[in-house]
Amino acid sequence: MTDDFLIRSSVDPLKPLTGIEPKKAEGDKSTEGVSFGSVLKDAITDINKLQNDADKAIAKVQLEDAGSIHDAMIALEKAGISFQVMMQVRNKILDAYQEVMRMSV
Amino acid sequence: MEFFTTFKITGSGLSAQRKKMDVISSNIANVTTTSTPEGGPYKRKMMSFASDPLEKGFDLDLKDAVNAVKVGQVTDEKEGFKKVFDPAHPDADKDGFVTLPNVNLMLEMTDLITASRAYEANATAFDAMKNMALKAMDIGK
Repeated sequence: MTDDFLIRSSVDPLKPLTGIEPKKAEGDKSTEGVSFGSVLKDAITDINKLQNDADKAIAKVQLEDAGSIHDAMIALEKAGISFQVMMQVRNKILDAYQEVMRMSV
Repeated sequence: MEFFTTFKITGSGLSAQRKKMDVISSNIANVTTTSTPEGGPYKRKMMSFASDPLEKGFDLDLKDAVNAVKVGQVTDEKEGFKKVFDPAHPDADKDGFVTLPNVNLMLEMTDLITASRAYEANATAFDAMKNMALKAMDIGK
């Protein structure tokens, strides 16, 4: 009994955490009100630009005899990876949508 | 995207090594050239690289740490010409000696192998970064 009491008094009660608050991301306000659709649209525009860059790099290598092969390949890989990232995001959105549609009411 | 920084750096490495190959092949091609537009035999070209600090496009922590590479300068080697007695040669001097270029073919071959291996290393670094990016996309699958 006394042991139990001693242990209880020696252990400090847990205090609620006060100092920690969720950190707000920088530019939080600017992203407020931006719809997800427009974010996706911007991403697709960027990726389209990368695809165009890759096209130009290949044209340069093949037509003008000026560009280097590795620059063209790097441009192609950039475009390819960005496209794959975009596809992954799209797949996730579709998964979420289908999950919602499967919900039984 | 942040992994594009690696692409940029390896790209600069690939470009630099390709230019090095240009210089080396110029030396090899002119190993017996005895006349040049500026007069005299061909002079061996030497190329040095310089680091090229990246201004933007990567994490703030690495702002001063990461460098791409660029061509520093191309200079002529001034010494090591070989004189051969050949009075019938069109470029022979009045004593009948021809000055041959100071290109050492063995030296050029070792430089060539170094440049080609460095090019491969840059390409491998590129592939590794690409695989990391693709692996990142597999998270959660």
